[in-house]
Amino acid sequence: MKKILTLALAAVMVLSLAACGGSSAPAATTAAPAAPAGETAAPAPEAPAAAEVKIAVVCDASGQNDNGYNQSAVEGAKELADQYGIAYKVVEPTESTGDTLAALAEDGYNLIFSMEYDFDALVSGEAGADPIAVQYPDTTFVVFNATPNVDAEGKTIHDNVISILYNVNESSYLAGALATLVNENADVLFGDGYSFTPTSQARAMGFIGGTNSDGITVFSYGFIEGVQHVAQELGVTYDYYAKYDAGFSDVAGGSTVAGTYYDNGANVVYAVAGSIGDGVAAKAKEEGKLAIHCDANKDGQQPGYILTSVIKNTRVVVKELTEALMNGELDKYDRITMFDLASGSTSITDLATISAAIAKTDEAQAKWTEIQDYVKDLSAKISDGTIKVTNMQNGDSFDQSTCPNINFK
Amino acid sequence: MQLMISILYDCVYHSAPIILAVLGGLFAYKANVLNIALEGMMLNGALFSVLTYYFTRNFAFALLVCLLTTLLYGLIFAFFGVTMKGNVIIVGLAINMMSTAVAGFILVMMKSSNIIIPEFDVNALKLNIPIIKDIPILGPILSGHPVLTYVSFLLIFLTSLLMYRTRFGVYVRVVGESEDAAKAIGLRVDLYKYAAILLGAVGCALAGMNLALDRLGLFTNSMVAARGFIALAAIYCGRGKPVQSSLYAILFGLSRSLAVNLSVYAGEASGLFDCFPYLLMIVVLGAASYVKYKNVKVRGFQV
Repeated sequence: MKKILTLALAAVMVLSLAACGGSSAPAATTAAPAAPAGETAAPAPEAPAAAEVKIAVVCDASGQNDNGYNQSAVEGAKELADQYGIAYKVVEPTESTGDTLAALAEDGYNLIFSMEYDFDALVSGEAGADPIAVQYPDTTFVVFNATPNVDAEGKTIHDNVISILYNVNESSYLAGALATLVNENADVLFGDGYSFTPTSQARAMGFIGGTNSDGITVFSYGFIEGVQHVAQELGVTYDYYAKYDAGFSDVAGGSTVAGTYYDNGANVVYAVAGSIGDGVAAKAKEEGKLAIHCDANKDGQQPGYILTSVIKNTRVVVKELTEALMNGELDKYDRITMFDLASGSTSITDLATISAAIAKTDEAQAKWTEIQDYVKDLSAKISDGTIKVTNMQNGDSFDQSTCPNINFK
Repeated sequence: MQLMISILYDCVYHSAPIILAVLGGLFAYKANVLNIALEGMMLNGALFSVLTYYFTRNFAFALLVCLLTTLLYGLIFAFFGVTMKGNVIIVGLAINMMSTAVAGFILVMMKSSNIIIPEFDVNALKLNIPIIKDIPILGPILSGHPVLTYVSFLLIFLTSLLMYRTRFGVYVRVVGESEDAAKAIGLRVDLYKYAAILLGAVGCALAGMNLALDRLGLFTNSMVAARGFIALAAIYCGRGKPVQSSLYAILFGLSRSLAVNLSVYAGEASGLFDCFPYLLMIVVLGAASYVKYKNVKVRGFQV
């Protein structure tokens, strides 16, 4: 009996070892059986170049079902697979982003999108190894939200690493302008079920960020400038409450922080802190006020209590770059590429969900249309460069004195 | 004044789940079982209360499932830690990792990064106590919490009674203080350890439910945010005494609340309040240890 057990165990071990050796990316999951994806490049008669194109999306910790940032990239890859029959793979890394990237490159993926916020192994090399970008010169790596691929003098280090920056400052600007206009007209716009602090008592906005870095302040400062823009036009002053160290996990904590902002007269709180935003939205509903979410269209999470979401559309990037690769035009992209408001890859939502919550009176509807038009007009002004928004991600610095109508708390 | 009120209200808010976990966990402490699985059990309580409510919209059923699943973790912990005499740290660690993994798995199955009950009304759960709510100042602090929050504070005294005024409490403490003595008088040691661990599971299940369902109506995989470990620390600081340990739990709640509420005035410096309970803990544990061992002249011998 024992012998059999031993044998069985040994067999299992050998098999599992073989399994490990067989696929070089054990954490990898081949997605969507509907698409001809996976290890073998799919034949694609209609697009000859497609047979050689293999793309991969490496998700960050939120995973591919995050309803936003990762998911949108995965959707982009799926659409490409349907359209051109290219092979794609979605990976949720368990331990090391570096190992995953290397395994994918080794497997022959020529365009790898890394959603993860971990660039060391790729750009500078980990544990004495050459940077992965050097080890696999024929693979193009795409990273998001940061510019790790420049040296101290601002020169590009590796030619096969493309950094994608979203100008979320611009979409946050719109969110700020929208929030201010809604705050000014809250009594007209919204009916029962809300308890806004009237502007006669206080004017305030709240911001909750996960950590104090350029990746977060880029949202906040854009938002402030949007508030400033409207506040200046109306000749009013807003208090600005901000917390930049809320972390990304303590939902209940973040929710009570939002509660204190609401108590202090803010009617809108903007959360850029991962899942904490869910707690802020829940608090907005509890208090009958409004929250602004980010990364994906999460307006439907607490319908009527989320004013809008600031979207990073990774789908556009995945599709655009892959198509560029297929057409051999990848080189025309700068190694740091900005995707701005005009490109449609960052924006605020279409406001459909909040529109349903606007009071059904003629006055409210008319006002709401007016506000939406105003925001659209602003959006056009930003896109054509009339309005310039501070971009912390790109090395701009923010000067509080440029916002005289904001009272920083 | 308004600030004071919201500080104290939030203090109650943040204390309640920690108190629940403390009150459950201190039985295991008294039975001399180090239960580091409080964190994982709390997460499980949070997960299954929200998940069950999401599917059934039935509060009682959510409570039931949340208790049963967490008790299951308690049983696993007790079986491996007590019956199999495994290392309780390892078993506890395993449970912490397992509950995160189970939650992650369920979230993947649901194709979502969180579970949110859309039409859930947190305000409907708040209990406005008739007479108390009209008292100035005290009213807004003491009234308007969900039932479990009141239960948590009531349980402090009930736990105290159970621990010091019943045979069960005495036996649990005997088992913890001297297992051999307990065996000698014919106590079924393992049974009391099981009971102590399972009581911990009940406390953690309630704590998780209070944190996730009662207050927010949503679940995310990292939402317990080390509250289980804070509860463990509170138990150690209070030496497993219900009232003292709960006071530490309230201290944590107060610090959290100060950090949150004063951020409006002090900006990022208010985060320093989050350090306060840890600093106090070091001082208390250090002082307690000093007092206890100051007359010990020979290393390794206790008086």
